[in-house]
Amino acid sequence: MRLARSLMVLFAPLMIVLAGGPVEKLGPQIPKQVLDWKASGPDRVFDRKTLYDYMDGGAEVYLAFDFREVFVRAYADAEENELTLDIYDMGSPAEAFGIFSCDRQDPEAGIGQGSEYGPGLLRFWRGSHFVSITVSGNEDKAEQAVLALGKAVAPLLGPDGAPPEMVKLLPAEGLRAAKTAYFHDNVHLGNRYFVSSENVLDLDPRTECVFAEYAAASGDSGKLLLVRYPDAGRASAAAASFLKSVLPAADADGAARTGDKGWSMVTTHGAVLAAVFEATSKDFAARLAASITGPPK
Amino acid sequence: MTSPLTRRDFIRGTAAAVLGASAAFGRTAADGQTAAAPAAKTRVVLVRHPDALDAGSAFNEPVIRQMLDEAVAKLLDRSDPVEAFKGLVKPDDVVGIKTNVWSFLPTPAPVERAIKSRLMDAGVDEKNIGLDDHTVRTNPLFVKATALINVRPVRTHYLAGMSGCLKNYIMFAESQPAHHPDSCASLGSLFLLPQVKGKTRLNVLCALTPQFHGRGPHNFSRRYVWNYKGLIVGLDPVAVDAVGLRLITAKRRIELGPDQEVPPVPKHIGLADTKYGVGTADPAKIELVKLGWLDDVLI
Repeated sequence: MRLARSLMVLFAPLMIVLAGGPVEKLGPQIPKQVLDWKASGPDRVFDRKTLYDYMDGGAEVYLAFDFREVFVRAYADAEENELTLDIYDMGSPAEAFGIFSCDRQDPEAGIGQGSEYGPGLLRFWRGSHFVSITVSGNEDKAEQAVLALGKAVAPLLGPDGAPPEMVKLLPAEGLRAAKTAYFHDNVHLGNRYFVSSENVLDLDPRTECVFAEYAAASGDSGKLLLVRYPDAGRASAAAASFLKSVLPAADADGAARTGDKGWSMVTTHGAVLAAVFEATSKDFAARLAASITGPPK
Repeated sequence: MTSPLTRRDFIRGTAAAVLGASAAFGRTAADGQTAAAPAAKTRVVLVRHPDALDAGSAFNEPVIRQMLDEAVAKLLDRSDPVEAFKGLVKPDDVVGIKTNVWSFLPTPAPVERAIKSRLMDAGVDEKNIGLDDHTVRTNPLFVKATALINVRPVRTHYLAGMSGCLKNYIMFAESQPAHHPDSCASLGSLFLLPQVKGKTRLNVLCALTPQFHGRGPHNFSRRYVWNYKGLIVGLDPVAVDAVGLRLITAKRRIELGPDQEVPPVPKHIGLADTKYGVGTADPAKIELVKLGWLDDVLI
């Protein structure tokens, strides 16, 4: 018992650092060398005000989430191939999952709570952090170093965190979980799925959105967008806007066949809106839309 | 039943809504002659060469110079490239070359050098030629510039859908983030800024190594860049970008599938035409002239 207490005193400061805090405090714990790549140049940290200095034209992608700051370290090998490690403090596990989820296209890499690796790019999230490691130069040569660096960083970012509560609303049957995206505003919806050239759903930083794809064993398929608004009035207004702009021929259930792209539908339940796209039948669209009444029984 | 608007419908819709052809571009030739041939159409020249990049994807500068010469000569219907550049600038012009230094896909230096060289051949003093990106608002040469050359690569962009000649002028804005909302819808207004209005003599959209999709923290991954080996050249930045968008769309259809063929909401191109009147986005009003290599031309 005494030994345990002594160990706690000894490691308490370290545990605080490992649990999060300013990302720059992670620096000393991250290896300065991985295989042939050595840290090059000073570590850098950018916050919401300075992110534009780091991302020429892309800062809004992160600012649309609860981004706090990013730690950046570059590595180079003897041939000047470069790796860039970015560790983003996204403020909460939900937001970390969100920024990760909006850009998933590669196979799982088994790092952190969710990850993907493709040539030149490793992305993963754990706890409140999102991490990317990018390669400039020989991507094939860098693969092992990228994965090794990712595996070294992930344990520093614990503990694990829970994905957004809204994800629990998604019906489990037929869900293609790796395609689920969580975000807030129209920028991310536009990149995930084209609904309209205008912000017809009135999305903003205060709205919570989950976009999911379904391929059920029955052969049914479709796409489901859930949006939680600050209040029921905005949800109703958004549904009316959607019907007017996107589904002007909808029936009394808010559903319409959309040419050769299947059925679309919109409905609300309190402050939550459900919009279904490309469903194989009106019945399947209705089953997906019904998810807003709560987790499936 | 009514179908919802698709991305393709959106592109067609913005094009069909065009009210008129370019008013501000295509008639700025320094020698007073009408620059592009038919007044009813805005000419855009696509020139490609199989040797524009070598086997290691390094730029072949002599070939790129030749491509630029051919494109500008055809654009202005001149037989000689120097004569063509003399149709764009006067010897007493102060010329700012608005380039793009984005580290992942910058304007190729051989293109910058080719433009500068031809400006000097046309009689412009070297000390009156500037090259800049981020500091064009305060760069003394750009502040007093009487002519601008707009040159940058074509690529997709997370917010704007596509980065082309229109977006290249965002550095002239007092606030760049102010142009980011609504998918960068207001980019066309940049061409109405006092420092810019009526000064753009040439737009060169580099399609040597276009980027058709964005990934990662900087929206760049080498996987989505291909060696197209082309330059898209015109007097009208909207028309040039409209052609660039067709190229990106065609490549995305092949690589990513029909559902992803159009990058997210590149509405600023249509609005540059219909709202700001700084060019034409209507394919029916664009004369696309293709020169050189046609393998996998896509458009």
